[in-house]
Amino acid sequence: MKKVLSVMATALLLVTFCGGMAAAKDFQVGFVYVSPIGDAGWSWAHDQGRKALDKMPGVKTSFVESVPEGQDAERVILNMARKGYRIIFATSYGYMDPMLKVAKKFPKTVFMHCSGFKTAKNMGNYFGRMYQARFLTGMVAGAMTKSNIIGYVAAFPIPEVIRGINAFALGVQSVNPKAQVRVVWTKTWYDPATEKEAAKSLLDVGADVLTQHQDSPATQEAAQEKGAYSIGYNSDMSKFAPKAHLVAAVWNWSPFYRYIVEQVEKGTWKAKAYWWGIDKGIVNISPMGPMVPQAVKDKVLAAKKDLISGKLKVFAGPVADQKGDTKIADGKVASDKELLGMTWFVKGVVGSTQ
Amino acid sequence: MDDLIFILAITLKSSIPVLLASLGEIITERSGILNLGVEGMMLVGALAGFVVGQQSGSLLLGFGGAMAAGMLLALVHAFFCIHLRASQVISGLAVTILATGLSSFLGRPFIGRVGIHLGSLPVGPLAEVPLVGPVLAQQNWLCLAALALVPLTAWALAGSWPGLSIRAVGEDPEAADAAGVPVAPIRYACTLFGGLLAGLGGAYLSLVYTPGWKEGMTGGQGWIAIAMVIFATWRPGRALLGALLFGGLTALQFYFQATGAELVPAWILRLLPYLLTVGILFLVTVLKRTRFGAAPAALGQPFFRG
Amino acid sequence: MAITIEEKTSALHPLATTALAVVPVFLVGAVLFALLGTDPLEAYRVMVVGAFGSWFDFSEVLVKAIPLMLTGLSVAVAARMLLWNIGAEGQLVFGGIFAAGTALFWAPHMPPALVIPALVAAGFAGGALWALVPAVLKARWNVNEIITTLMFNYVAIIFMEHLYFGPWRDPMGMGFPGTAMFKQVAWLPRFFQTRIHLGLFIALAAAALLYFALKYTPWGYRVRVIGLSDRAARYAGFAFGRQQVMVMLLSGGLAGLAGMGEVCGIHMRLQQGLAVGYGYDGIIIAFLARLNPAAVPVAAVLLAGLIVGGEQLQTATHLPASISLVLEGALLLAILGASFFNRYRLRRTRSR
Repeated sequence: MKKVLSVMATALLLVTFCGGMAAAKDFQVGFVYVSPIGDAGWSWAHDQGRKALDKMPGVKTSFVESVPEGQDAERVILNMARKGYRIIFATSYGYMDPMLKVAKKFPKTVFMHCSGFKTAKNMGNYFGRMYQARFLTGMVAGAMTKSNIIGYVAAFPIPEVIRGINAFALGVQSVNPKAQVRVVWTKTWYDPATEKEAAKSLLDVGADVLTQHQDSPATQEAAQEKGAYSIGYNSDMSKFAPKAHLVAAVWNWSPFYRYIVEQVEKGTWKAKAYWWGIDKGIVNISPMGPMVPQAVKDKVLAAKKDLISGKLKVFAGPVADQKGDTKIADGKVASDKELLGMTWFVKGVVGSTQ
Repeated sequence: MDDLIFILAITLKSSIPVLLASLGEIITERSGILNLGVEGMMLVGALAGFVVGQQSGSLLLGFGGAMAAGMLLALVHAFFCIHLRASQVISGLAVTILATGLSSFLGRPFIGRVGIHLGSLPVGPLAEVPLVGPVLAQQNWLCLAALALVPLTAWALAGSWPGLSIRAVGEDPEAADAAGVPVAPIRYACTLFGGLLAGLGGAYLSLVYTPGWKEGMTGGQGWIAIAMVIFATWRPGRALLGALLFGGLTALQFYFQATGAELVPAWILRLLPYLLTVGILFLVTVLKRTRFGAAPAALGQPFFRG
Repeated sequence: MAITIEEKTSALHPLATTALAVVPVFLVGAVLFALLGTDPLEAYRVMVVGAFGSWFDFSEVLVKAIPLMLTGLSVAVAARMLLWNIGAEGQLVFGGIFAAGTALFWAPHMPPALVIPALVAAGFAGGALWALVPAVLKARWNVNEIITTLMFNYVAIIFMEHLYFGPWRDPMGMGFPGTAMFKQVAWLPRFFQTRIHLGLFIALAAAALLYFALKYTPWGYRVRVIGLSDRAARYAGFAFGRQQVMVMLLSGGLAGLAGMGEVCGIHMRLQQGLAVGYGYDGIIIAFLARLNPAAVPVAAVLLAGLIVGGEQLQTATHLPASISLVLEGALLLAILGASFFNRYRLRRTRSR
């Protein structure tokens, strides 16, 4: 018994020692996720980016998943800061204020908050211009719909989601002015059965193309069962609905996360708002399915090229809201601030923003 | 009219998990055991159904695995409630917590895998029949089996001798015991049956409705099923009605949004099922011993020979 | 040969059985860790050190334990009178809503010294109000409170979401859900340069008060008699229904205080992340504490430690978050089992 105990104690000491060694040497990066990593959703996309960092020499990553946006967020971020993490990425809107509080206490740590708008001396925020990819997928939807009703299963009426819906609708209208986009709010980011029911109700009012701002592929499956088309989000969802999946608006966080780590390593990182677009590959569209005619593919890819070069802007005036009031004047382009706080629907969207 | 049919068809298909789980819970509660582990049993059923189905390629084995998994958890609950005389509320909660953790933990390697799933019924020419046709065409054989279970359980509870023994055990175990009815075995059987149906309801999600394994994919339907039992006043027929009403209100809320004609704000429609359940429970309790049913008298109470 | 169950004459203190039950749970956890390729000893070391290794870590466990203590007390006091309050979650939400309303609309027009007492009162009132309907239904018509309180949780959460997505949404918040941040007068004071806020002392005071009230006051006596057997209480001529309503209001108020503490001590606004299951955790804590108010804070710290330690484990080893749930469920079952063997013993007898 004594022997076992002493072996255990030695092991414990060794482990502690090695743990201490590793922490001193490695460049540690922490991630905070709001949901389980899951299969194809928001946290999964970020986790792919995290895994890319693990391949960088000397970089070691950690994460905590399913962290509620309440008191737990501050503790999780704080604990990472206290352990000497060099960079902490918090990937949900509700982490903004908790992160800001921690950032003030740890001036040497770099804090990066996703999808918010606040910054501090050592805290930046970041996001991707997903609306550009949404616009392109909207073009595909507009070209493929026959009923001219396109369904959008959406989680919560917040600017990020509304911006995506608007960009999608503008994409639809750019190729098919007659089509309308109908929005159903599920009031959940992730609940496969509820998402499916919402998707079905859209199919039943005549939608023949569906898209989603949700974390499960239930919408894709609903479309396939009904013989309709679908457009994925977060990641390429074609394996869930190969017959329905036209294209997906996808995240690719790896280049961004690598860039931030490199900047911090070099000491050239700046605390600002990083809002990368399709030109840097942080957002993209997946390969289009075989049911999309070549002419449509060409047109979408041409538009993608124009978005990358900056020739095409998604929110370029004139843009009117649902009532027909001009929101973005002719010849103007919406500012980032306007986009960040967007709470109105463009004309042609059916649904309420509450 | 077409819209109504659509709503009915959606509702029927989406209500099956709640219906199955609440039918099982009715039987369990009728024998005097309160099972708050339904949510956990559904989750484990969903995982087991998917995994077995995917590995074996057989839907039947998948559903069988789900039922076995649900029963296994129910066995734990039954053992604690019947033999260890534990608090049924705590035991049920513990089973749900444990099963939620285990399913997410064991299910990790299966996330995002594409497995098998059960398709809709080949209704053929029946699809042309007005009203019934379009509704039927969206269903599958498990839907029909679940619907068939409703009159079956109702009949079993009302008329057959096992039903009588179950009710005797749930109403007055001392008297039943004195009359030679085996109280503990009947309670075990009823709890296991409840677990079996909860597991099947879970597998309905992972093999039929939203194929694939997703963490926490039941989204609280197990809790709704428990409420539905009260709503139904422990009668299978009313459980069907309740499940349809509950599903119908959700479908209606989305339907209003999808048509852009929001007659009632969505948040009020979301509240309604819960308030209705409380209202019905109130009516049932106040009007008990008249035409409505009442709770089994010995529900939640352990029984042991003195 | 058969096995019969007999009541034991001597038994361990119920809290001692709770402590004993931890042993098999540790073994179950160790097997799971080993299956996942993690050294069980190292895993437990990370969890324990992460939760209790330093004053700072422990202070965070205490912060996490504040709402758990209050919901635990809420469930325990109701259960002492044989009432199952599954609705602490909804009562917590309503306490939060009332506190937020007070902080947003009244606090700016109030003498500063009165703001904190007003928030505490509002939190308690909100929770009590949300328990009122189930309480009256139970006392007057004997309507099953397990179901009514459970249903009211959903209603409270949907209503809260409606508030911060709709009429209460911060007009300056860039369209994000959540109310505006409260003025600083409506923030609960914090202590020891940690996040520990006034709520901790409210919770501890409530635990102490309840303990003494149950033990030494006439009210406590009545509650204990009713808790032993409602028939006895009716014989004794207690105003049974009124007692039930009173206790449910107290129970709801305690949960409401938990919501007030989260909203005014942590978030400083009403937003997502309030209804994260503290009400359901309260049931577990009440049970772990054997419905003894004095033991509730200890049980709450234990559960909070498990949750915080679980996070630390994830950061260190990439293990899934669900491991804490598995341990929690196993712990509950182990305690259920242990208390059986503490109360009864098995004896082999000749069959009849």
